[in-house]
Amino acid sequence: MSRTPALELQHVAVAYDRLIVLEGVTGTVAPGESVALIGPNGSGKSTLLKAILGLVPLQAGTLSVLGQTPQRARRSVAYVPQQDTLDPEFPVTVQQVVLMGRYRRIGWIRRPRQADRDAATAALAQVGLADQANARFGTLSGGQRQRVLIARAIAQESRLLLLDEPFNGVDSATQVLLLQVLADLRASGVAIVMSTHDLSVAHIACGDACVLNRRQVAFGPVDDVLTAEHLREAYGPNALAIVSSNPGQTDV
Amino acid sequence: MIRLLTEPFSAPYMQRALVEAVMLGVLGGIVGVHVILRRLEFMADALTHTVFPGMAAAFVVGGSLYVGALVTGAISAVLLTMLTRNRRVTSDAALAVLLTGFFSLGVILISRSHSYTADLTVLLFGRVLAIDLTEIAVTAATGIFTLIVIWMLHKELVLRSFDPIAAEALGYRVVTLDLVLNVIITLVVVASVKAVGSVLVIALLITPAAIARLIVARSVAKMMAIAALFGAAGGWLGLVVSYEGSVHHGLRLASGATIVLTLTTLFFVSLLVVVVTRFLRSKNSQPALTDSDFVLSGDAFPVGP
Repeated sequence: MSRTPALELQHVAVAYDRLIVLEGVTGTVAPGESVALIGPNGSGKSTLLKAILGLVPLQAGTLSVLGQTPQRARRSVAYVPQQDTLDPEFPVTVQQVVLMGRYRRIGWIRRPRQADRDAATAALAQVGLADQANARFGTLSGGQRQRVLIARAIAQESRLLLLDEPFNGVDSATQVLLLQVLADLRASGVAIVMSTHDLSVAHIACGDACVLNRRQVAFGPVDDVLTAEHLREAYGPNALAIVSSNPGQTDV
Repeated sequence: MIRLLTEPFSAPYMQRALVEAVMLGVLGGIVGVHVILRRLEFMADALTHTVFPGMAAAFVVGGSLYVGALVTGAISAVLLTMLTRNRRVTSDAALAVLLTGFFSLGVILISRSHSYTADLTVLLFGRVLAIDLTEIAVTAATGIFTLIVIWMLHKELVLRSFDPIAAEALGYRVVTLDLVLNVIITLVVVASVKAVGSVLVIALLITPAAIARLIVARSVAKMMAIAALFGAAGGWLGLVVSYEGSVHHGLRLASGATIVLTLTTLFFVSLLVVVVTRFLRSKNSQPALTDSDFVLSGDAFPVGP
């Protein structure tokens, strides 16, 4: 396993149209580590994910992904969107969705080869959906779709995995399965950054947490960071009531 | 039956019309699948209007309609892509502004010609029966070029439609892919506009793909094959119906409009067949397996495909 951090942030600030939406983010994620981004809607979680992907420019600070600029590291970074942002009627099979993770490897014009199909099949098996390869993506349950999207990231053979609210609309049985898949990925050296509203999930799935509210409130080991004080700073005086009752919404 | 389908095409002008209509049906069907998956129906409709001033200008000065349509079509495709990058201009607003602006410009240009009404009719509704060999060659060249680009970029275009954020995250330039698709749609509109006119061209682009959307569930490539098939069938049957009606029954059916109406009929027949078969299937299987995609109220009557 390489010693280069999967992600290194130094005083990162991001702005849309000169309006700063997130600032002061500093922290490191080592290979095999996992960090939960915690914060209310509009706190900058999705923005930070986009910055790591190199899709929004930095206003200040430095951000290095696998020792490179975000743009250069893209092929080794997988992004897992919220499954409910995708059209369930789109005519695409589970297998085809997973193959999308191979597209950069396959290159322009060329079609997937046997090696790509094998990688897709193996990735689907890893998330326990090998038998659904030929089903239409939209016919699967929310949790299954989330697993397909993670399989796509696995097929991409990424070293950094970014997940946007992966536990949204997922039943508890699937949650257990997802947690196992993520733990396996971490064990193989993949670093994980996920936004989530669910503090218990953050405790189980992540070693570190980053509390955000348009700026970094705290970054460090979950037990040190997810304190009542920090959460009040991010969510306001009623933090604990909000965090425990809010199942999570989109804030892309 | 066979005679009915082939007899109209003994005259050379009908053969040319058939070749043109079938080519446009196939082309519109395949490109239309991308239009439907990207939900660009309104954009495609706007493009059919923005090519109009170019054609009108070419008509008035006696130049090539294709070149005129291509010039304003390309200008509007680029303008559209740029305008919608501004976050305060929604794509629907940009489309509405361009559509009406360009169309009005076309009307003003064409109103300067002597035979205003007749010229307007040709530009709006087309003249598939007056297609000559040069125009067939232009359509064929446009078609081959377009299909090659669509084939080469197939997986990228599908990825971009399905999951634009993942496409960007993978490092694809979504703006470039969008621009390519917009230009392709423009080319198809320009190629079709002489045959069916700028009002009806949208039907060639949307209706066959909409039929395919009803029938195919799991593959974009299959959707394209089905859409191409229905597009070609619509062109062929439309010409047959228009010939039969005009020659044997004295009905004077405008050929471009008849092709479009044939496609519309095929759409509703397909919809009926799909709804009825789903209904029968859900009735025969366990209630738990009922397809939730369709909610059918009232009685359905059995109709064979």
